[in-house]
Amino acid sequence: MGKTIIEKIIGGHAGKEVSAGDRVWANIDLAVIRDFGGPNVVLEFDEATNKGKVWDPGKIAITFDYQAPAKVAKVAENQRICRDFAIRQGIENLFEVNCGVGQHTLLEHGMILPGSIVVGTDSHMNLLGAVGCYATGMGTTDIAAAFAAGRLWFRVPPSVKVIFEGGFTYPATAKDLTLEFVRVMGADGSLFRSVEFEGDMIDNLPLSGRLTLASMVTETSGEISFFPLSGEIAAFLEKRSGRKIEPVISDPGAVYEKEIVINIEGLRPKIACPHTPDNVKDVREVEGVEVDEVFIGSCTNGSFEDLKAAAEVMKGKKVHPRVRTIVTPATSEVALKALKDGLYEIFMEAGAMVTNPGCALCTIGHPGILGEREVAVSTGNRNFIGKIGKGAEVYLASPVTAALTAIEGKITDPARVLSKV
Amino acid sequence: MEEVFRGRAWVVGDDIDTDQIYHGTYLPITDPKEMAKHAMEYVPGIEDFAKKVEEGDLLLCGRNFGSGSSREHAPMSLKYCGIKVVIAESFAGIFYRNAVNIGLPLVECESLPGFAEPMDIVEVDIKTGLLKNITKNTEIHGAPLPDLEMEILEAGGLIPYMKSHGMFPGVGAGA
Repeated sequence: MGKTIIEKIIGGHAGKEVSAGDRVWANIDLAVIRDFGGPNVVLEFDEATNKGKVWDPGKIAITFDYQAPAKVAKVAENQRICRDFAIRQGIENLFEVNCGVGQHTLLEHGMILPGSIVVGTDSHMNLLGAVGCYATGMGTTDIAAAFAAGRLWFRVPPSVKVIFEGGFTYPATAKDLTLEFVRVMGADGSLFRSVEFEGDMIDNLPLSGRLTLASMVTETSGEISFFPLSGEIAAFLEKRSGRKIEPVISDPGAVYEKEIVINIEGLRPKIACPHTPDNVKDVREVEGVEVDEVFIGSCTNGSFEDLKAAAEVMKGKKVHPRVRTIVTPATSEVALKALKDGLYEIFMEAGAMVTNPGCALCTIGHPGILGEREVAVSTGNRNFIGKIGKGAEVYLASPVTAALTAIEGKITDPARVLSKV
Repeated sequence: MEEVFRGRAWVVGDDIDTDQIYHGTYLPITDPKEMAKHAMEYVPGIEDFAKKVEEGDLLLCGRNFGSGSSREHAPMSLKYCGIKVVIAESFAGIFYRNAVNIGLPLVECESLPGFAEPMDIVEVDIKTGLLKNITKNTEIHGAPLPDLEMEILEAGGLIPYMKSHGMFPGVGAGA
């Protein structure tokens, strides 16, 4: 019988054919901890193994992106526990507080390959589905066990196919496509499903856009998503990893639970309104809502292309005096490129501030928390109640909409104001 | 291990995410007893859950319980504040495996809506999935826990399970 992408990947690591719904033990290619979750993994691992050795130090990575650098003593101590563990275990892949968002950093360092299984203490690990990797967020017990054994139990997710029909142009972006996907699916529309995306817009989506869409599959409770690998992305992965890239594709006759067609012809800019990511409307429906803060960054929209899109809107303009505007590059590589390309100058002349790379506001590890009843437009992926400030209202939008809103001081539809020449 | 649990029902709605179950503010906490003090603190209407919950209570939830973050603090805070079984129409993927891994039993039951009012006395058999509302004298069927999940729960969680199956190199079975 034909197999889906996820069945092939898990089966390949389990050493046998698997089908949706099966429970199997499968080998892990990379296990990742961060500065939250990470210390508990270390403590649990030490207790479980009586301070034994990890299964393979070369297959473990540590990334500091939650609160980087640490601002409270507890987190500083947590990071120290991870550093000490790395030294004790001979783990060389430790990405310090300057590096930025873990998944993006691992990708830049060529550690993520199509068809591999990566587990980590981050619910947005699955954004690495953008390059064909089965990456999944797990709790501390799972990762501690993976550190010891190099394998874990898996439930094989059923697969669904999502086909985007039609196309759209600027100022709609990959984030607007993503928000439309979340609106159609709802908060549990992909519950523990492997989503295989198809469509002309998908084929043409650059890596940054795929990362955006793949990251928010989490907000539909999806387990993972996959895209047909483009030549450009394969070349990038080959260059970064020094390895030959073999895409994993589904077989003819593979079994899909369902096929969902989403029409995106002439898609308008979208915005997720408080307090759930699937509460999505056209930006034009909520135009005029005054905002106190705009955040541009996160694992969803912290790529160079995202910052560039925001900078193009802000160039030569000033942000509204009431709007605190915070720009956070996903990684130091993104930051350096943004610096060299003059993006920092544009942001700072506009009155925005550019912070060090990391997860920034999303985990409120970094500063920028909101006061009671304050309103923010964020390019992140979650707007749950109280997530970035008790009593605050958070809207999720594209870097273009966010940048325009920062200038106008109120939510503004780029489709009305901007058009690409 | 025990397979039948009887206790008071706490009833919550759909899409209760991990920030509601256990807010990100408390992520640096590593002591489970401290985590328990913040369980369900951001669920509207039952912010005082952690103060009122009693050992042996059951938690009945809607669809997609535990969506959001990978934080194991969420099931840990529930387990250590006294919740014996979490029953839901459906569970988010990460919460599901986290709960199994730490030894907190789960039952999935599609026909759960309307089954119980808050503080009804409910009985659940995790092996068969049978749910009885003792207060209302009604019963419905949830899904029995699959064998592997049941074995992990019986072992007391993932780590003891893997150790006893010789899956940790260098650590003897039963060590």
